[in-house]
Amino acid sequence: MNIVVCLKQVPETAEAEVKLASDKKGIEMEGLPLQINEADNYALEQALLLTEEHDGDVTVVTLGPDSSDEVLRMSMAKGAAEAVRLAGPAFDRGDPVAIARALAAAVKDLEYDLVLTGCMSSDDGNTAVGMALAECLDLPHATYVTQMEMGDGEVTVGRELEGGLIEKLKMKMPCVLGIQTGINEPRYASIMGIAKASKREIAMKSASDLGLDEGSVGEEGSRTKLEELAYPPVGEGAEILEGTPAESSGKLAEVLREKGFV
Amino acid sequence: MAVSLKETYELLGCIQCGRCTAGCPVGFRTYLNVRKVVYEGLTETGPRDAKGRPEAWNCTTCSNCTDRCPKGVKPMELLIGLRSAAIEKGKAMPTVRDALESTFKHGNPWGRGRDKRMEWAEDLDVPVADEGEEAPLLYFYGCTPAYETRAQDVAKSLVRVFAAAGVPYKTLGTAESDCGNEIWRLGEQGLFELLVEGNTELFRSHGVETIVTSSPHCMNTFKNEYGDLGIEALHYSQFLKELLDEGKLELPTPVEKTVTYHDPCFLGKHNEIYDEPRDVLNAVPGVTFVEFDRSRERALCCEGGGGRMWVEAVEERGERIAEIRVNDAVALGADYLVTACPFCLLTLEDAVKTSGNEGKIEVVDLSELVAMAL
Repeated sequence: MNIVVCLKQVPETAEAEVKLASDKKGIEMEGLPLQINEADNYALEQALLLTEEHDGDVTVVTLGPDSSDEVLRMSMAKGAAEAVRLAGPAFDRGDPVAIARALAAAVKDLEYDLVLTGCMSSDDGNTAVGMALAECLDLPHATYVTQMEMGDGEVTVGRELEGGLIEKLKMKMPCVLGIQTGINEPRYASIMGIAKASKREIAMKSASDLGLDEGSVGEEGSRTKLEELAYPPVGEGAEILEGTPAESSGKLAEVLREKGFV
Repeated sequence: MAVSLKETYELLGCIQCGRCTAGCPVGFRTYLNVRKVVYEGLTETGPRDAKGRPEAWNCTTCSNCTDRCPKGVKPMELLIGLRSAAIEKGKAMPTVRDALESTFKHGNPWGRGRDKRMEWAEDLDVPVADEGEEAPLLYFYGCTPAYETRAQDVAKSLVRVFAAAGVPYKTLGTAESDCGNEIWRLGEQGLFELLVEGNTELFRSHGVETIVTSSPHCMNTFKNEYGDLGIEALHYSQFLKELLDEGKLELPTPVEKTVTYHDPCFLGKHNEIYDEPRDVLNAVPGVTFVEFDRSRERALCCEGGGGRMWVEAVEERGERIAEIRVNDAVALGADYLVTACPFCLLTLEDAVKTSGNEGKIEVVDLSELVAMAL
């Protein structure tokens, strides 16, 4: 069984104070470590586990700048057989549908039984590329997948719904699945493994390599355009607890008790 | 062709005497049997990585087994090697994986951002060397005293002591990165080499001649594992001893307490630094020092080393060693259980709570004890 995983590199912002860039079209990236998008890491692990169990290869595909090679190398260090990067100015500033169109052009010529993506990206959070990709490839699609059971030419997936419910779907393969975090426990990519993978080739694809009309991808091929990023307005009701950790945790316990949360 | 464990770790010298197992502090409370691991290594009958032998993750790398082996076999290195083989296959438990990934991304294993590395020093006057500025005497405060709120007291106390003694030190501010001691012991050799390269370059760019560390772990790796670094690495207990001997540090305020001292493995067993911390401790006026029965090279490990701060111990049973240590200290009638290592500080303090000894004894870092006497 061969699996294609579409993934992307994102800045890690969990510990950072995110600042808007001066043009308000992005954030200041200086000092932010780059990493694989969290849900994509689970999608990659799922693909590796499945191909280890059922034999086959994993191909990773990304669309992004040169730095994205790092996540492709990390993926190869973990066990991906092939890596493809869509590169070139034609792809810049694409909306999720334009990105999906580009990815679909790269994926359609590969041999695959499944296409996995993360269910959501941690930067833009559109949760749209996976669905648009399925549409472009004319394949069935499921989101927030937390369970997978392989059958003969089909896969039964569990989708995470609200309130702890799981929706079970039986899907014909090939199909596109948006993988939710927590479905597995991603493995570690050692530095030596990444160094070895850095000697392996990454297939670079431009829009023309993929036979894409430049007007169909990137900013030109997008129906939505980013106008501006802004900070959310300051609301009311937030309280910053001052003091040493021992003092502030005491105050927090007090607040939780007062409000009846504990 | 893969080289066998027996060749890599020269296991054929083993005479199966069992001194390694007898001296192993975690052997009696986990399924780690060092002699058996060595035997199965030399007979090539055992797993070749820590995935197949998860108890290898229980090793604290205290060095008892390697130190006590009469034939010069190095079981501790074998155990680290089993971890390495697992890491190379991506088989790291999530807590270890996260610590390693964090060290690669942020320069510390605690999952915290680099720009928050100097938060401990926010209200203090701590000198930071600008890029390229000379810093002949470097205070390497370390990841744990940077981020862990209790261990921050070690760094805070030390900069107070340095100021009182007029020490012309500098720090590297947020440019400081993990030393790699625990990373190597978690089995991530590639990441360790990356850290050695980065830190060596950084130290050289600042003209560092002496490094004083908060942690015995940082001192150990700078001193013993950084190749031809050419920089003197001292644990702060050694440095404070020098300051006291030279009359630069005065401790006028008595601390009227009965005190015992827990030898950190990476200060004691690994580097045979037993006297300096005791000398510093005894220079504090008012202190009554009582010695543990199991002290110096016979000291019990606290189980905080060897990357164990990030390891979920596998199938442990019975009392934690740090709890035994705390109970022994209480039985000695000590008011303070003093140590000189951020990891020991944390494991012992936790053990005071879990062993029901809160209110009976306090765990104090040597740096804090000295700061009390200023």
